[in-house]
Amino acid sequence: MTEKEKYLQIRKEAMWTGITLVVLILFWIAAGFGLAGTEVKLFGLPIWAVGGTIGVWLFAMVLVKVLTTIIFKDFPLDEAGEEDRP
Amino acid sequence: MNGDLSQLLPLLGYMAFMIGVSIFIRYQQQHSGLMNNFVRTYFIGNRDLGGFVLAMTTVATYSSVSSFVGGPGVAWNIGFGWVYMAVVQVTAVFLVLGIFGKRVALLARKFDAVTVIDIIRRRYNSDWLAELSAYIIVLFFCATMVAQFVGGAKLFEAVTGYSYVMGLVLFGLMVVVYTTIGGFRAVAVTDTCCALMMMFGIVLLFYYVLQFGGGYDTIIADIEARHPEMLEPLSGGKMPYGLYLTQWILVGICTIALPQSVVRGLAFKDNRSLVRAMLIGTFVVGFMNIGINLSGILGQGVLTGTLTDYGGADNIIPRIVVTAMPSTLASIAIIGPLAASISTISSLLLVGSSAIIKDVYLHRQEKKNRRPSDRKLRFLSMMATAVLGAVVFVIALTPPSLIWLINMFAFGGLETAFFWTLLLGLYWRKANKTGAMLSMGGGTLIYCVAQGIGFKIMGLHQITIGITVSLILFLLGTYLGKPEKQEVLADFFPEE
Repeated sequence: MTEKEKYLQIRKEAMWTGITLVVLILFWIAAGFGLAGTEVKLFGLPIWAVGGTIGVWLFAMVLVKVLTTIIFKDFPLDEAGEEDRP
Repeated sequence: MNGDLSQLLPLLGYMAFMIGVSIFIRYQQQHSGLMNNFVRTYFIGNRDLGGFVLAMTTVATYSSVSSFVGGPGVAWNIGFGWVYMAVVQVTAVFLVLGIFGKRVALLARKFDAVTVIDIIRRRYNSDWLAELSAYIIVLFFCATMVAQFVGGAKLFEAVTGYSYVMGLVLFGLMVVVYTTIGGFRAVAVTDTCCALMMMFGIVLLFYYVLQFGGGYDTIIADIEARHPEMLEPLSGGKMPYGLYLTQWILVGICTIALPQSVVRGLAFKDNRSLVRAMLIGTFVVGFMNIGINLSGILGQGVLTGTLTDYGGADNIIPRIVVTAMPSTLASIAIIGPLAASISTISSLLLVGSSAIIKDVYLHRQEKKNRRPSDRKLRFLSMMATAVLGAVVFVIALTPPSLIWLINMFAFGGLETAFFWTLLLGLYWRKANKTGAMLSMGGGTLIYCVAQGIGFKIMGLHQITIGITVSLILFLLGTYLGKPEKQEVLADFFPEE
């Protein structure tokens, strides 16, 4: 990987991390406020109180797993790309 | 349970263990020759942190004593809305590592950077900006550390029956000692132990709260009968939407700019450790925040009075611990929150002293073409850590009131100062010195003034003002000022 490719890759990773954040925020809204009107109960609690807390937590872990598996690439962080610099 | 010596033994043992770990690490680094590059090894380690330790030290630094005492005390009063709000913190670890981790890692290796300020100085080619960053860091870090000391010592006093000062000496002086001796590597390892103790403490507390309250079903049924609003997201008006919004900004998104978090990007080994840390960190933050706040809510089964009966939210958790737990276990359980306090202090101390020594002193010496001897640097670095710790310790001896407010104030100040400077600086080619100076100086000043006079917009926390003003000033400065030099930009943006 050249230095240029590394920096492009990092930019891509950062952008997808940001997108992950947006997805998580939407899930957080839907699972909490979105479910707040429902009468359904889980563990004796209104379902939003479970979805908006433990649900968000579990979903965040799934998202991070997907993000790091699909988007993140392994490359050497030190001077390996040095020879490509002008 | 007044002044029973056995109450102190678990904490004493734990602190002794921390100091032992620190001495061992120092010894090991001395023998492997790493200490030959003292400044780097002392302040950032050897850029070899693995995933587990990276995750634990990031979480432990980020989680402070108020996440363990003040926060769950409020949860006891407010209910599930508070947990719903606290869970936004699961973003804190994966965001900072995912957005800044590798970028900072690559740049740090390129420039042999030891601090976040090193990178800011290079990017904006400005000594003024670097010194301003250093002062802001030291100032706000001191405020945060005082808050940690006071929070920890008050908890100690409430649970063990020993005096506030005794607690401060026991865990406060000890953390200064072990940080001074061991440097970054010791901080990372002790942080890991602290994070484990926090999780253990939460499990213990959770278990005993359930036991005392007569089981999960009984407690929930009781809450439903006595406080139905605790099962609503807005908690009968006690949790307005605005609070959710500001918490997303203050303890979620903007935490990526906290220098004590970003500095972890200079220290990890490779992609594998980063990716593991993002996953483990998200797990641990969620576990802690949900676990401790849920324990707070279930504490309704332990303390059934009103908030004023117990003298405010800060006293709830100590009261629950004392009431629900056998005293021998209580003295073990409080190691958890104290660990949250010392693990934050240790990292802040080190980043603070690196700002003083590396970013101000050493840089000034280099400009004058002076190269202080290794011996001298070694002495000064350790002295800076010890003195900074001592100053904060002395302030904490006569604690200012409203301590958790100070903590949040400092959080917001650091975010205002560094969020745009780092985010735009590292990803936007056009960002320049004028923008960064205006944003950091002007934004932080306006944030502090707004805090000082209590000015708010739509009742929202001043972070919303700080972060907006600093963005506007950044864009304005970037538009008015000159672009950075080509060679700097080529170093920072080889992709464009």
